[in-house]
Amino acid sequence: MSIRFIAALAAAILAWSATVAASAQEKVSIAALRFVSSSPIFIALDRGYFKEQGLEVEFKFFDAAQPIAVAVAAGDADFGITGLTGGFYNLAGKGALKIIAAQSREEPGYDFVAYLASKKAFDAGFTDPGKFPGKTIAITQTGSTFHYMLGMLSEKRGFKLTDVTLKPLQSIANVTAALKGEQVDGALLPANNAYAAEKAGFAKIIGWVHQETPWQLGALFAGTRVIEQRHAVVEKFVAAYLKACADYADAFLARDAAGKRVFGDKAEALIPIIQKYVQPKPSPEQVKASASYIDPKGRLLVKNIYEQIAWYQAQGMVARDVDAAKILDLSFVKDHLDPPKR
Amino acid sequence: MPEPDVRGAGGVADGSATIAFRGGGFQPQPRRLVPFIVFVLVIGLWQAASWRGWLPDLFMPSPWQIVGAFGDMLHSGTLTRHVGASLSRIALGWLFGTTAGLAVGLAMGIFSVARAGGLPVVSALFPIPKIALLPLFILWFGIGEPSKVATIGFGVFFPTVIAAYTACDSVPRNLIRMGQSFGLPAHAIVWKIVVPGAMPGILAGFRITASIALILVVAAEMIGAEYGIGAFILSAGNLMQTDQLLAGVTLLSLLGLAVSTVLGAVERIVLRWR
Repeated sequence: MSIRFIAALAAAILAWSATVAASAQEKVSIAALRFVSSSPIFIALDRGYFKEQGLEVEFKFFDAAQPIAVAVAAGDADFGITGLTGGFYNLAGKGALKIIAAQSREEPGYDFVAYLASKKAFDAGFTDPGKFPGKTIAITQTGSTFHYMLGMLSEKRGFKLTDVTLKPLQSIANVTAALKGEQVDGALLPANNAYAAEKAGFAKIIGWVHQETPWQLGALFAGTRVIEQRHAVVEKFVAAYLKACADYADAFLARDAAGKRVFGDKAEALIPIIQKYVQPKPSPEQVKASASYIDPKGRLLVKNIYEQIAWYQAQGMVARDVDAAKILDLSFVKDHLDPPKR
Repeated sequence: MPEPDVRGAGGVADGSATIAFRGGGFQPQPRRLVPFIVFVLVIGLWQAASWRGWLPDLFMPSPWQIVGAFGDMLHSGTLTRHVGASLSRIALGWLFGTTAGLAVGLAMGIFSVARAGGLPVVSALFPIPKIALLPLFILWFGIGEPSKVATIGFGVFFPTVIAAYTACDSVPRNLIRMGQSFGLPAHAIVWKIVVPGAMPGILAGFRITASIALILVVAAEMIGAEYGIGAFILSAGNLMQTDQLLAGVTLLSLLGLAVSTVLGAVERIVLRWR
C-alpha cells in the first residue's frame, strides 16, 4: 500500500469523524419562564453560543417559578432558571438541585420590583415604604419572592412583618384586581405591571426594592445528578450562558452620568430576539421596563442566599435542615460576590 | 363475593331427594372490619416503602411525616383555626347555594315556564370554571369572606338546580294523578307528593354538592385567605412542603367522610316514608 493511499485514507477518516463530532451535539434542556428575565438563554440560543459549545439546547417553558424547580428536581429538565422562593429552597434542600450562576438581582439604579400604594391609601398618607405597618398588602403567594422582599423591608425599616396583613392572591392578575378594586392598601409588583397600574391611575409607586434592599432574586441552577455525571456539559452550558449575560449587560445595563438608564443600538439589536421568546409578546418599551439587572459575569450575591434561607427558616417556611453551602455549587463561575465570612 | 346461604339446606324425612338452597348471595353485607384492614394495609405498605427508600422523600413523604405535620399543626394551635375558618365558609356557601338552588330547581321542576326559561341559563352558566372568575369575584365581592362564600355558593347552586328538577321529573306521575282524582289542591300535591317524592334525588344531589363545596374551598381560599384548610394546602404547595400538603388533603378527606356520615343520617330520617 502506498503511503499516499494511507494518507488519503487517514484524511478521509479524520474528515468523517469531524463531521460526526459536529453533528453529535450534546442535548440538554432548560426549564424557564417566558419572561424578559430569562433573556440570557434566549440570546445564547439565538446567537449560537450554545452551538459553539457543542450543545443542542431545548427550552421547556412553564408559567410559574415552582414547576421549574420541580421539573429540574425530577430530572425532566437538566437546568432551570427562575426566581428563588421558599419552595425552591425546600426542594433544593432535599439535594436534587444546586444553584450554579446568577440571574436577576435588585441592584441600585435598576427598577425591577416596586412598592405600590392603592390610590385611596396613597391619598390617605401611604406614601413611603416605611409606612407598611397596619396596612393590608397583596402578594402572590406565601414564600414568594414578594413575601421575602417585604420581610427584608421590615428588617431594614424596623417594623414587624406581623403588623402587615398579607393577602396571598396567587397571581399577578389577582393582585392587580385587588389594587384596582381598593381591596388592599398596597402591593408589590414587577416594574412593567407597576408602570401600567400607575398609568391607569389606580395605584402609585411609592418606592423600589433596589432602593431599600438589593438582593439576589434569581439564579441558574442544575440538577445535582447532571452536575455529577455530566460535569463538562454544565461547564459548557455556563460558558455560553455567561457570554450571553455579557451581551445582555452590555446592551441593557448602561447608564448615563446622571445615573439614568440608556438603551442604545445594542439594546435595539437584542430586543427582537427577546420578543421572539417572551409571551405575551412585549413591546420594545415593555422589554426595556422589564430588563432587570443581571450580573455580566453571572456572579451571585452569595451571602444574600445564606440570608434568604435563614429568613425563610426563621418564618418556619423552609425546613431547618436546609444548608445553603450544600445547595450552592460555586465552582462554575469565577469570583462570586460577597462571599459569607466563615 | 357471593356466599351461599345454607339455612335452607336441611334433610327432608321422606324419600325425596334434598336440594340445597341455592338462593342468597349477590347481596352486599356489612363487613365492619374490612375497611380498616384495607386502610391499615395500604398505609403500612406505603410506610414500609418509604423506610426502604423505594419512595424517595422528594416525591412522596411517608405517612409518619404526615402525622408529624398534623402534630405540628395541633401543637401550634393552628389546626382549629384552619378547620373553623373553612367549615364556616363551606357551611355558609353550601347553605346559600342549596337554598337558592332548591328554589330555582323546584320551580323548574313544577312550572313549565320556569323550566323553559331557566334550563338554557343553567346549562350555559354551569360549565364555567369558577376559578376562572376569581379576578371578577375579587372586584364584585372583595377579598374578604363574601368572595369565598360566593365561590362555594356558585359551585353548589347549579348541581342543586339540576338535581332538584330532575328529581321532580322522577316522581311517579300516577301518584300525582291519584292525588288529583282525590281532589287534592295543587299546593297539597306539591308538598305531599312532589317534594317528598323528589327527596331521594335531591339528597343524592346533596352528596355531590357537599363534595363540590369541599373541593371548592381550596379555590375559594386562593383569594387572600390567612386561615383555612385550602389556604394551608396552597401555602404548603407553594413552599413544596409535601408532608403538610398531604396533611391538609387528609384533613379534607376526613371532613368528606364526616359530611357523608351526617348525610347518611339525614337520609335515614327524611326518607323514612320509603
